[in-house]
Amino acid sequence: MSIVALEGITQRFGDFVALDNVSLHVRKGDLHAVVGENGAGKTTLMRILYGALTPSEGRVIVQGQERHYRSSREAIADRIGMVSQHYAIIPELTCLQNLMLGAEPGAFMNLRQCEDRANVLAEQMGFTFDWHARAETLGPAGAQKLEILKLLWRDAEIMILDEPTAMLSPRDADALFESLRKLASQGATVILVTHRLPEVIEYCQRVTVLRGGKLIDDQDVQDLAKAQLAELIVGHALTAFEERELPQGETALNVQNLVVRGDRGNDAVKSASFQVRKGELVGLAGVDGNGQKELFHALMGTRGFTGLANLNGEDLSGRTTRDRLAAGVRIIAEDRHAEALVEEWSLSDNAVLGFQRLPSFRVGAGINEATKAERTRQFIAKFNTKCTSAGQAIGSLSGGNQQRFIAARALGENPSLVLAFQPARGLDIDATRAVYQGLRDACSQGAGALIVSFDLDELLEFCDRILVINGGVVSAPHQKERAEIGQLMVGAI
Amino acid sequence: MRPLSPGVRLGALALTCIVIVLIALITSGANPAQVLTTLLTDSFRSPTAFADTLKRFCPYMILGVAVFWALRAGLFNIGVEGQFLMGGMTGTVVALQAGGMGGVLLGAAAGMVAGAAWALPAAWIRAYRGGHEVISTIMLNMIAFQLSNHLVSGPIMDPDAGFPTTRTLGPQDMLSGVPVGQITVNWALVIAFGLVMGFGWWLRKTVAGYELSVVGANPTAGSFAGIDVKRTTFAALLASGALAGFGGGLQAVAFEGRFYMGFSTGYGFDALGVAILAGGNPIGIIPSAFAYGLLQQGALAVQTLHVPPGIATLILSLLVVLFSAIRYGKVRHSNG
Repeated sequence: MSIVALEGITQRFGDFVALDNVSLHVRKGDLHAVVGENGAGKTTLMRILYGALTPSEGRVIVQGQERHYRSSREAIADRIGMVSQHYAIIPELTCLQNLMLGAEPGAFMNLRQCEDRANVLAEQMGFTFDWHARAETLGPAGAQKLEILKLLWRDAEIMILDEPTAMLSPRDADALFESLRKLASQGATVILVTHRLPEVIEYCQRVTVLRGGKLIDDQDVQDLAKAQLAELIVGHALTAFEERELPQGETALNVQNLVVRGDRGNDAVKSASFQVRKGELVGLAGVDGNGQKELFHALMGTRGFTGLANLNGEDLSGRTTRDRLAAGVRIIAEDRHAEALVEEWSLSDNAVLGFQRLPSFRVGAGINEATKAERTRQFIAKFNTKCTSAGQAIGSLSGGNQQRFIAARALGENPSLVLAFQPARGLDIDATRAVYQGLRDACSQGAGALIVSFDLDELLEFCDRILVINGGVVSAPHQKERAEIGQLMVGAI
Repeated sequence: MRPLSPGVRLGALALTCIVIVLIALITSGANPAQVLTTLLTDSFRSPTAFADTLKRFCPYMILGVAVFWALRAGLFNIGVEGQFLMGGMTGTVVALQAGGMGGVLLGAAAGMVAGAAWALPAAWIRAYRGGHEVISTIMLNMIAFQLSNHLVSGPIMDPDAGFPTTRTLGPQDMLSGVPVGQITVNWALVIAFGLVMGFGWWLRKTVAGYELSVVGANPTAGSFAGIDVKRTTFAALLASGALAGFGGGLQAVAFEGRFYMGFSTGYGFDALGVAILAGGNPIGIIPSAFAYGLLQQGALAVQTLHVPPGIATLILSLLVVLFSAIRYGKVRHSNG
């Protein structure tokens, strides 16, 4: 029998139909995955179950009873809990305070009793916590564990996790699934929203596929292969991104003993030495916050460094960002709102950003309007950015469409080195492939690419070679192989 | 609760503004219709009144550009008042020394240099030391008030005058104008128009204008796009000060003919409103500056109706609030 049954759910936002007659049946004790592209309606469906949205049509049945939640509070009372993609942890509070936040036992609390209960819950999961440490001392894995304990603290038996492994190293992700399995074996039910298909295949019992707000498939995982699942998600056949001979071009980027100072005065990058050849896509694997950002900023010239960094034989130190842009260094920045765009401006005004001093974009002191219009058109077309016109404010596009435009811009005007920070962020499977194909094409014209992603499977699929950064130390695995890289990512070798 | 729609909120704000003005007028015991008519039409009462309006219109345009320039780089140059005073004083002194057309040119140029010099500390502190320009320019304003008052009461004061003023430039030492009907349009107005148009072109069409706007809109994205944010910030405040000083020098050699205590009736502060009222487009400075000139001229006339001249400031301030609300609403809206 289903512990959760959503039947015939339709959700409209104005004229837009986010969910169209979707049903979901979850068995007690299962790890049930809900998969689909961005905008497929996964999160909307979960918000309905969690009481954060009232569906336009359809029935919500929990433990055999039809429910009409008016708020999450009512869902929580029904023992439903949700961890959203962005953790709701307040860094200034202690772990214990975060654990109880919003679900304190009463106006007067016996803190010792609270801590005892916290310890019981942690022990049950095999976690250890220093309850009096401030939450800011937690890494991403620790924060995720704390979020799960928050659900247990609220006696949740039905747990919704939205992209729980997005920020975790492979090892932490595996550990997380072990804990989830344990919870399921104790009678909990876990509903998992994810885009990482290997973890669905490996750990989940059942999977529901959504596409464009419609239910596509609902089946047991055991007789499903990863490729099959990917095709169900995109709705057409996918050919594998073919592995190719390692390109043997000249060295584009040569980095020796590079040290980059971080914001807190520590060395964010510690004596890194590596090369990127022309033609090559080099993936930089690692958990967020291990020096990737600082390395990119140093190579882009917005942060100083010591040591050697050469691009096509020319020393980068002492060269301004403008010089480096002229030499063909491009960046797909980590934070597109803060670093890559002026959101209130049009696509065409944003197309110029970074190129405004290049000769091809200038006439005398002015901007070459013809080039500007032409390039804007090219950047929009390259990865099929959906917009009403080149004059539309770029901030009004969806994140995925902004990312397409930024990626196209970074591959424009003969790049020699592309620094791509999560180039596929917010993109669907087809667009992700298109962007990586675009990177390959740019590289076959003589550029090199260094790519940061927190999704190791993405790097393994698309990059020619992988480096690992952990605690600011860059290392090279012997082989492009998941287990070894996963261990390097957490410094276990 | 569902938030009110932007139209309803703006309507409510506009209504509130009107009610505030009416309350102010009624409590002062005046007839609101009469006061508002006087405010709006006094400039057209006589050629002299219109000439006085134009005399205000000119600095409002130039100072409006000065404020707008800095604003586009994300900087609030509160110091235009002080820069205008220093420019006016220096310009007068130089023009008095040189005389003739050469004196006019040198006077305006000296005003520009003085204004830039007065903005220099604030520009340097902001760009390279991170100190906020609002604080430093306000302090520099105070220094400019005291310094100019002191100099004009002593070292550069006309010994024959009974109050703090310099000697007066003769008509041959001042910028003239072209007669249009019963009034004379001073060449300074033509220069001011040219400045607004030229600045509008520069901002929209040149690489330097583009980079300035990027720095104002998103400095981090600017640094990733190869823009030297510090240098652009420094240059923008310096240019803003130079323009304000130029406005002061021009006011002296075109309209005032001398520097005296009370040379500025708060042009620099009003110019903050001029620039905001102009909206996103520099050309908007022209109607906005004219509205300021018109209402400030009318404010003198309403005193005869026993209404304090502050009523004009009140109306203009509420207009600025209203326009800021419209602009802010637009930006929020486009962000989705």
